[in-house]
Amino acid sequence: MRIQNLAVIFIIIILPISLVLSSYTQNQVKTLSLQISYDNKLNNATYDALKAFKLNTLNSSTSNMANSKLKDIEASINTFFNSIASNFNMAGYDKDVLKHYVPALVYTMYDGYYIYSPYKNTLTDSEKAKSETLPDGENLYGLKPYIYYSCRYKGSSNSKDYDVVITYALDNYITVQGIIDGTAVYKYGYLLDNIGGDYTNNGNSGKDITYRGIEIKEETLQEYIDKDNKLTYVRINGTKYYTEDNGNTWYYYLNGDKMQQVGAKYKTINEEGKQYYKEAYDFTQWIKDNLIDLKASNAVDEKGETLKDVDEQGKNKFGTYKIFDFGGKDSQEGSIEDADSNFNQHRLAVIRYSIEKNLSVAIANYNRYTTTISANFQMPKLEEDEWTKIINNVSIISFLQGLNIGGKVYNGYSIITNTENEEVVRDDAIYLADLDDYGNYYRVTDSTLNNNTDYIGVLNLDFERRVKLNDDGSESYFFPKKQLGSYTSIVNNFVSEEAQDFYKYIDGKGENIAKAYYTALGRERYGMYRINNLQINEINKND
Amino acid sequence: MGDTLIIIVVIGLSAVLMFIFPLMTMSDRTDDVSQLTVNTATTEFVDSVITTGKLTLDKYSKFVENISSTGNAYDVEMELKVLDENPGKKTTQSVDKRIGENVYYSKYTSQILDELDKTPIMLLKEGDVFIASAKNKTPTMSQQLKNFFYSVIGNDTYTIAAEHAGIVSVTGSNYD
Repeated sequence: MRIQNLAVIFIIIILPISLVLSSYTQNQVKTLSLQISYDNKLNNATYDALKAFKLNTLNSSTSNMANSKLKDIEASINTFFNSIASNFNMAGYDKDVLKHYVPALVYTMYDGYYIYSPYKNTLTDSEKAKSETLPDGENLYGLKPYIYYSCRYKGSSNSKDYDVVITYALDNYITVQGIIDGTAVYKYGYLLDNIGGDYTNNGNSGKDITYRGIEIKEETLQEYIDKDNKLTYVRINGTKYYTEDNGNTWYYYLNGDKMQQVGAKYKTINEEGKQYYKEAYDFTQWIKDNLIDLKASNAVDEKGETLKDVDEQGKNKFGTYKIFDFGGKDSQEGSIEDADSNFNQHRLAVIRYSIEKNLSVAIANYNRYTTTISANFQMPKLEEDEWTKIINNVSIISFLQGLNIGGKVYNGYSIITNTENEEVVRDDAIYLADLDDYGNYYRVTDSTLNNNTDYIGVLNLDFERRVKLNDDGSESYFFPKKQLGSYTSIVNNFVSEEAQDFYKYIDGKGENIAKAYYTALGRERYGMYRINNLQINEINKND
Repeated sequence: MGDTLIIIVVIGLSAVLMFIFPLMTMSDRTDDVSQLTVNTATTEFVDSVITTGKLTLDKYSKFVENISSTGNAYDVEMELKVLDENPGKKTTQSVDKRIGENVYYSKYTSQILDELDKTPIMLLKEGDVFIASAKNKTPTMSQQLKNFFYSVIGNDTYTIAAEHAGIVSVTGSNYD
């Protein structure tokens, strides 16, 4: 065969292959870049939703109440769909169309979570209110009931039989409900080691209550309620009460309106920090007396069968370890509040198990509700570090599935977390501020903090800008605390190697710093809104 | 004579078609794939930084490792625009209606790497902006071939480049 023929044959073979290969690669490139751009859009929309939730709750004084919180979450869901619709506008999808591609949205909160997904309206015509216009059997999108991070346990401890449900939270607050030794119990509180002082009947040290050897004392709190006026306040059950006349009359703000507190007086000296440790001590003692032998393997499901959940290595997360591994009164090593304690590991396992189980059901069920999309909706496998983010923070998880992106079907999710919110007081949510209004505020891990200077511990949210409604209907902005962010730990955050072990680091910083921090941590956690907190008013009321 | 000339032309043509054309096409496709890899890696790197508020040495090394797997050497540049809210706070104290003028100041690659050298985790805060870009610094095979045949591309230019940026959505924390 002549060489010319060979060349022609070669071209005939190579040319189509090369053309097909090149178009295939181009398609892959397009698909991938589309996927990246969709990921980005989903991330942005989820972030917008979280930001909306944060701003709404921050500027609403009733955001803690369940129905107000539901409204805030629904507003945040609207923001999500508006944002995703504007992001996808160029791609030709609008809000109503995109709704069908979102099988679920999850809002993880302090002690539970909401799932937003479709459900069937099962109210019949005779059952529903007259004003109700939704037809029977229609598929509706909405928030499903709040699901707690709870787990049921059955077994015996201290020769007492128990069948209890323990509800966990993002910190070490737990609620125990159920029957112990034939008696119904309903107890709640923080689990803390290392509490000492006279309150614990630990001799006569002259110190009422101590935490990690540091005496916790009363304090007076003041903050700005507008640009110029600084008042004394107490925070009780999530609401701040202010006084202008040294504690004779108190008022609070209800979404911008000044409301007089009738018949209630509070102490201007704030004892909430102390009270937090005292109550934590009592509750911890109760757990020690009643549930100390509780093991993770005692966890059962709703049918009473032993719970099994294996990790990546095939190890059962609900093993035979003791959940409440207290370290003792004065031991600073191996205490229950450590991140690697059995309690914390188990708490995280329960939270994860609960979300994983309910979410996968919600997404799988979505196939029954969708008729327009042929995609098979499935819960994607989340990475370990993503789970860590979810179970340690208030977060939103969004899913977007079934969109055609060329060669394949898009199956994406986004997790956006938030470390600054009213839901939870995290260990690192307490900043230390100079007493002077025109000073600075710092993270506790700031290396420039000086133990010989006096600081006050402040919740990070109090440095956020607030909106005030003026008498003429206009709005103005103000900061409850005027201190400016430190350039070493707030604007920039230089973290030293030692600060990785938080509590140990704080103990080593010196007594003044540790005292300001522990007092503020206790005070802010004690002042949070909780449905169980009803007796708290009595504590601060003058006799 | 005529035949010889044709044979020489055909040999030349065949050489071009059989070796150089496939080589160039292949190297072009390799560049496409590299571009895709670098694009994806850069986006993933930036996204993981902005959604966690944490820049770690581990993430950075993984990113560099990922893009190096394409067989080229890259110039990686990072920029962190640190949000300074303090000027805004000072303003709102005097003017009621202004939302606050925030200032950003930048930290560049060498400063970021210096910090990562000291502590393996760099914590960012909500509102900071993080930008990363990667460009190839050694010429790719396709660039070399094009340089040889057309001499149109200078040695300094890059053919693979990716950039991604985003606003940090969460204040980083050491404890989760």
